[in-house]
Amino acid sequence: MRRAAPLLIGAGLLLPLAAIEPRAWLTLTVAGLAMGMLIFLVASGLTLIFGLMDVLNFAHGALFSWGAYAGFTVAVAVNARWGWAASPSVWANAGLLLLAVAGSVAAAFALGVLLERVIVRPVYGQHLFQILITLGATIVLEELIRVVWGPNDQVMPVPATFQGSWDVADVVVLRFPAIAIALGLAVYAAMQWLLTRTRVGLIVRAGVENTEMVQVMGHDIRRYFTAVFAAGSGLAGLGGLMWGMFSQAIRPSMGGEQLIFAFIVVIIGGLGSVTGSLVGALLVGLAYNYVAFLVPKAAIGVTMGIMVLVLLVRPTGLYGAGR
Amino acid sequence: MSAGVITPVQAARRAARRARGRSPALYLRLALVAAWALLPALQPSYQLLDLALKVALFATLAASYDVVIGYTGIVSFGHAMFFGFGAYAVALAVGRLGAPTYGHLLLGVLAGVAVSGVVAVVIGVFSLRVKALFFAMITLAFAEFALILAVQWGALTGGEDGLSPRMPGVFAAGAAGPLGLPGRVVTYYALLTICLGLFLLMGRFVHSPLGRTLQAIRDNELRAEALGYRTFVFQLVASSFGSVVAAVLGGGYAVWVRYVNPESALGIPIMLDVLLMVIIGGIGTLEGGLVGAAVLLTARTLLPNLRGLGGSLVAGSEILQRLSERWLLYFGILFVLVVFFFPRGVLGTLREVAARRRGGAAPEA
Amino acid sequence: MSDVLEVEDVHTDIGQHHILQGVSLRVRADAVTVLLGRNGAGKTTTMRTVMGVLPPRRGAVRFEGRAIHGRPPHAIARLGIGYVPEGQGIFATLTVEENLRVAMRAENAESRERMRRVLGLFPDLARFRGARAGTLSGGQKQMLAIGRALVNPIRLLLIDEPSKGLAPIVVEHLVTALEAMKRDTTVVLVEQNFAMASRLGDDCYVMDGGRTVYAGTMAALAADRVLKQKYLGV
Repeated sequence: MRRAAPLLIGAGLLLPLAAIEPRAWLTLTVAGLAMGMLIFLVASGLTLIFGLMDVLNFAHGALFSWGAYAGFTVAVAVNARWGWAASPSVWANAGLLLLAVAGSVAAAFALGVLLERVIVRPVYGQHLFQILITLGATIVLEELIRVVWGPNDQVMPVPATFQGSWDVADVVVLRFPAIAIALGLAVYAAMQWLLTRTRVGLIVRAGVENTEMVQVMGHDIRRYFTAVFAAGSGLAGLGGLMWGMFSQAIRPSMGGEQLIFAFIVVIIGGLGSVTGSLVGALLVGLAYNYVAFLVPKAAIGVTMGIMVLVLLVRPTGLYGAGR
Repeated sequence: MSAGVITPVQAARRAARRARGRSPALYLRLALVAAWALLPALQPSYQLLDLALKVALFATLAASYDVVIGYTGIVSFGHAMFFGFGAYAVALAVGRLGAPTYGHLLLGVLAGVAVSGVVAVVIGVFSLRVKALFFAMITLAFAEFALILAVQWGALTGGEDGLSPRMPGVFAAGAAGPLGLPGRVVTYYALLTICLGLFLLMGRFVHSPLGRTLQAIRDNELRAEALGYRTFVFQLVASSFGSVVAAVLGGGYAVWVRYVNPESALGIPIMLDVLLMVIIGGIGTLEGGLVGAAVLLTARTLLPNLRGLGGSLVAGSEILQRLSERWLLYFGILFVLVVFFFPRGVLGTLREVAARRRGGAAPEA
Repeated sequence: MSDVLEVEDVHTDIGQHHILQGVSLRVRADAVTVLLGRNGAGKTTTMRTVMGVLPPRRGAVRFEGRAIHGRPPHAIARLGIGYVPEGQGIFATLTVEENLRVAMRAENAESRERMRRVLGLFPDLARFRGARAGTLSGGQKQMLAIGRALVNPIRLLLIDEPSKGLAPIVVEHLVTALEAMKRDTTVVLVEQNFAMASRLGDDCYVMDGGRTVYAGTMAALAADRVLKQKYLGV
């Protein structure tokens, strides 16, 4: 699979050239990769939570939404105070983005810790109740957004220099998607580094394979559970903020809507594999954008189709441990 | 086997049957059936009749979901999808094939059943072999997909606006039935009979040897496999059975409400409703669905009135205003609390208490 | 000299099944205690109860005099108990070296020194240090499993059916390695391979139907053909 992945992505990227002319293809590719990266942010946390803790976390979507709204609040406040969104200075724009990111990640992270301790921990090992309880938590969290911020869509302030596009040799490259791609790659690199080069990552990887064994080796797996859950939540929050900026609007139900994509990506990529969710997310993002260009109504169907295809060939997902 | 000699299992079954005959639960069930049957005679308001039938329909739907999730132990999110298949099949058969007839209605029901059965089997074949979590997610993905398909394939399904077919004969709006009864009442009895029949069918299914095998699989799949049962086949049969029942109920829903659109027939709200009903009533207790449906639907009819009241009390702050409006918030909280403190639901907890009082005698599940 | 491990009339349930119905063991220091019995007798369940993976419904488990029953597995492990479960529990996607590092309670100079010693004790592991553990042979996986237990300072080692599924010559190597270790470690060995058990064991217990039915020395059991036939079918 490690060797097949580049081929798969390569094929995925090059095939549509048959039907789409190069300049549109480039724009679509960038959009597709960006969408993929944003889904990856959500899916990566989800897959680790599944893989390590065996928890079906429906509340992940709510964390996505909360991250977006928290980031939104910070962005609006900073913009109102210092005008950093409207400002043409890249530094001010970057500053705004960083503060918004900090806000969304912190909020989602804190919520994640709370959720794990209060809602998820009592029902470890009971899948049905996990599903039910995280579902209930999602409903509550989503409704709370409606209470605090109101039920209507909100416009997300996007920093000025991140809007619009670059004109590279007659090709239109949208700026924000490019930034999203860079961010996604950075997150992936950071996650891989954490997983392969730190002791915590080592224990998490071992735990994904066999939780019991890790415990009898003397490690308190519950602390790692909380850490992974919180980290995954933070990532979801980040994804929410970026998605909000990507679509320039946020609404309370956004989490639920994106969660299904994240689920499909986790199924495609395999439980517990960060690389799997990256590959899966990019495939889904690209496929969606290419198909949406050619046959708009079939776009969602394509993602389902990929999922079914993967399930036929490799039921545990592309990178899933055979379970 | 020579006459007069019964095995211990047969003896136990006979004793259980006798106990059932004498138990108060049987009389309670008869009383409930009588209550539903006699309701029209009391000249109830349109809303009350509507509520009563919806409770019956959704109680049966919840029970069919309980067969899948409670008795077989499969967590699936596709149930609303099968309900929707039945509803759309009937709506399309009756509305799109020319003047509506009973034949079309039957065709619609059969088509809905067939589609649901096939899809349930297909999904099951793909996905029952993987981890339970995976299966749950896959059913969710399929359900979402069905919803999006219904919305986007406007030519067939009427898109977001849905279909409002005219029902045949006595089921049509404003029709008059035999014995001078309004068509609505006849429809009521017809659907009530179907619900009752399905309930009894499910009861037999669950208490049959097949049903008991399923419970054994639910409790300990590895052990059942070790004993030689092909668990996969059993699970497939159970989930298909549940889906087919849901499809029939969907058809019934279409006949009663005469309006089918993605949100109300296929969507997440229905799925959440059914889930809530089963949880409140009690997983693994078929009739729990009745309790859950009664509680949920009655609350929902009454709540708008309360909402207005609440709103007028806190006219000041915007946030407090919203807090009073968002009844879904409280439902969510209720949901979480029920799962935490009453994981067995109303009926389940009652049965557990009763069993403990009886002092260790095995309760009839 | 008090016993290193004391299991006192332990009853353990898994779900609704009463697996252990009164297990009692005493493990002497610096000796190998063997736990014998047929399939399904409850030997593995006993090990898992001692490690805290399963909570006992009744009875007590004491390590060096202190009660450990009811405590979580990671706390029990940190008291100085190493565990090599049935099926080894190797992390297949991690490398051999990573497997050893995960097993360390803390990654410090002392642990790394012990790891070097383990690699010296099992040269195959040293050779395949960077390989993914899933690609090892059965015997090598078993060595790795034991090696993992040894990277920590332990006062008690629990090993569950190490010879299962291994070729006879590999079992030979295993016995040699264990003989080298037994001199300064207290070991509880669960085994169905009687030949191997009798070579390594000092004391032994036999389990049947979730209970301990025989307690004595290995030598006494090996010499008594009637007992061997009764409990082990040997």
